[in-house]
Amino acid sequence: MSATPSLEEYLAEAKTWLEENLEPKDPREPMRVRGVGHSTPEDFLPARALQKKVYEAGYAGISWPVAYGGQGLPTEYQRAFGTMARGFRMPNLGVAGGTSLGACAQTMLQHASDEFLKRHIPKMLSGEELFVQLFSEPGAGSDLAGITTRAVKDGEQWVLTGSKIWTSGGYYADYGMCLARTDWDAPKHRGLTWFAVSLKADGVTVQPIREISGEAEFCQEFLDEVVVPESDMIGELNQGWSVTQTMLLIERSSGRDDPSFLPPVDTGVDPKLVQLAEQVGRTKDPVARQLIGQIHVNDYVRVKLGDRISGLLRSGDKPAAGIASYWKLAAGVHDPIRARQIMELGQGVPLSWEPGDGAGERVGIEYLNSRVWSIAGGSNEMQRNSISEKVLGLPREPSYDSNKPFNEVLREAHSWTGSA
Amino acid sequence: MDPLLSDDQHLLRETTERFIEKSLPLSSVRALVGSGGGADESYRSQGAELGWFALLAPEALGGGSISGEGVADAAVLAEVRGWFLQPGSFVDTNVIIDALVNDTSGVDRSAIVGSLISGESGASWALAGPGGAWSGGAGLDWRSHGDGFRLDGHKTLVVEAGDASWLLATAEGPDGLAQFLVPSDAPGVTVSLVEGLDLTRRLYDVGFEGVALDSASQVGTPTTAPAAFDRQLALASVLSTAECVGAMDHLFELTLEYSKDRIAFGRPIGSFQAIKHQLADTSLNLEMSKAAATAAVKAVQVGDLASLEVASIAKSFVSDAAVELAHACWQNFGGIAYTWEHDFHLFLRRLTTDASLYGPAAFHRERICQLEGI
Repeated sequence: MSATPSLEEYLAEAKTWLEENLEPKDPREPMRVRGVGHSTPEDFLPARALQKKVYEAGYAGISWPVAYGGQGLPTEYQRAFGTMARGFRMPNLGVAGGTSLGACAQTMLQHASDEFLKRHIPKMLSGEELFVQLFSEPGAGSDLAGITTRAVKDGEQWVLTGSKIWTSGGYYADYGMCLARTDWDAPKHRGLTWFAVSLKADGVTVQPIREISGEAEFCQEFLDEVVVPESDMIGELNQGWSVTQTMLLIERSSGRDDPSFLPPVDTGVDPKLVQLAEQVGRTKDPVARQLIGQIHVNDYVRVKLGDRISGLLRSGDKPAAGIASYWKLAAGVHDPIRARQIMELGQGVPLSWEPGDGAGERVGIEYLNSRVWSIAGGSNEMQRNSISEKVLGLPREPSYDSNKPFNEVLREAHSWTGSA
Repeated sequence: MDPLLSDDQHLLRETTERFIEKSLPLSSVRALVGSGGGADESYRSQGAELGWFALLAPEALGGGSISGEGVADAAVLAEVRGWFLQPGSFVDTNVIIDALVNDTSGVDRSAIVGSLISGESGASWALAGPGGAWSGGAGLDWRSHGDGFRLDGHKTLVVEAGDASWLLATAEGPDGLAQFLVPSDAPGVTVSLVEGLDLTRRLYDVGFEGVALDSASQVGTPTTAPAAFDRQLALASVLSTAECVGAMDHLFELTLEYSKDRIAFGRPIGSFQAIKHQLADTSLNLEMSKAAATAAVKAVQVGDLASLEVASIAKSFVSDAAVELAHACWQNFGGIAYTWEHDFHLFLRRLTTDASLYGPAAFHRERICQLEGI
């Protein structure tokens, strides 16, 4: 094996490769925002081809283990390459691409067998296998351990039946990393197991969900006796909850840097507010001015809350998961307030608009999307539990279901009266 | 405590905490309420020895900051004072010292500034007009009069004016806004203690009836007064916000303790989700208030034009948040908070008053729009 090149040598070589193989890009070009544009599985074929090229040149999985298709270099090489690559049009595999190499692959690397990783990770790096999460269900969101998709053993394989929902990018992905119940007599957290399910397998139906705004980015999947080989189990049988916790932690820590948690401005009133007030002739209306002031004050303080939380996380005397919940709760509480205030400011504009008149439609869409962070990725209520228990030191609610056999929980839930 | 404080500021904080715990803890503040009086004179002079009034004045006049950033140091003190619901015109005296040392009109006021820094005398800002109008000169009229000036009118909500030797009077006149440093015992000035919501500080009405002043009593000129006024309001907003956040922090701590100690239905009430969620929301409110206060301290320390807006943002946010927090805590305490004996009402009264002093939330939101040119 050849010696590791110095970072300078490595970057010089990478720069040449990037220049010869990729289009240049303005690093300040904004990322695609949620709810804009539609795409089909075919639209991702060029990006997949490009990802294969990047992988074959050795620039995918730079710090990942060599045994699984990576380059085994220190993480600083990966970071430095990433920074440099911002100036180039890297393959954009959309939201499923992010999930595949993010939450899915990172969790697999910690829990899956060596054989599994050798088989799947190289293909994930090359863009041949895009993984999404088959996680929430129509009947289990905040109470994730309450999922009811079942996996039944049949010889050397497992047969999965159930339904999964809120899968971002499921319509163009190849595999789902799927949480299923494998023991119904065990308490809810102790009968769960993860599987890699081919979305092309017989019995899988992937259905885009038309969202409240009319867009379709999420999907629902129906699994009808889908066969999964034993070798595609991820982690140990019935140990799925510890895998889940790994995944949730990975998601939450990456979510911390998610720009969509922050309002758009640092200093100065959002110019869109003033434009809207002008459009409806309300810039001198004291009520409208109060609304603009309220929105701006909250926007500004939310940005500064981010600074404060970073400081608290660095000082490290409270659990990071609890502190990070302030950020999430601020988004979940203030996004809907902001959207409602803008609706009030805009009067009739966001209620009816000429086709192609961007302002009214944009305000309306933002209003319809305003509870994304109140619900997705841990609802406001889950964040309030996290803050009150982890930061404020308050006791947990008593649990009525975590020590009973899960099938008993299901049987008795509808007649639950609260008496022990 | 606060991860953003320097070592020197931690020390400043601890020294002031020790002093207050010894000289005027909350139990003594409560005793003052019963007696109807204020803190004795040694309180101000001992506070002065700890540097309470030196932070915004240059060393040449006997001042000097701890960290090199006087506004930030003063805000550290303000937060401690707020925590303990301290009386006295800390905010006003510092604002007036800052205004006097930044006045470029050439009048020598070093002796006055020196006496304020040493705690020998106090100062209060006569700002609000009748009914609580915060726009500047409201309620007070100034005219040229011989070689000097004459003031007529009425100001309200003047903090601790009974202990003040000097009043900074902001007035409206033929050439616009102007400000005057008025001895509180000048003929025609009447300083009357009024009853008020806040029991931890005394508020006064101040009448000006044909008050004749010499030319040296004017602070700045009608040309410089608007900018000076803006700076004063921003500084007062920041220090008052810091006091307010200190009191909020303390009240939330008491409430959280109570929710862990109070038993109902066989368990601490803080174990019920209805209570936990309300406390989590209140805690977010408090964290956002602290973030706003810190941002405003940094901005006003720099003191550029943008700092005026950031000060108004913080004042506006925290004014609303303080009342919201007080009511959330009130609900949490339940019946006990309805008693005179419990300290809760002292916090409620203080925070609700803080929310309006130096301009309530709506006033600062309108001000933000004006500063933004909307």
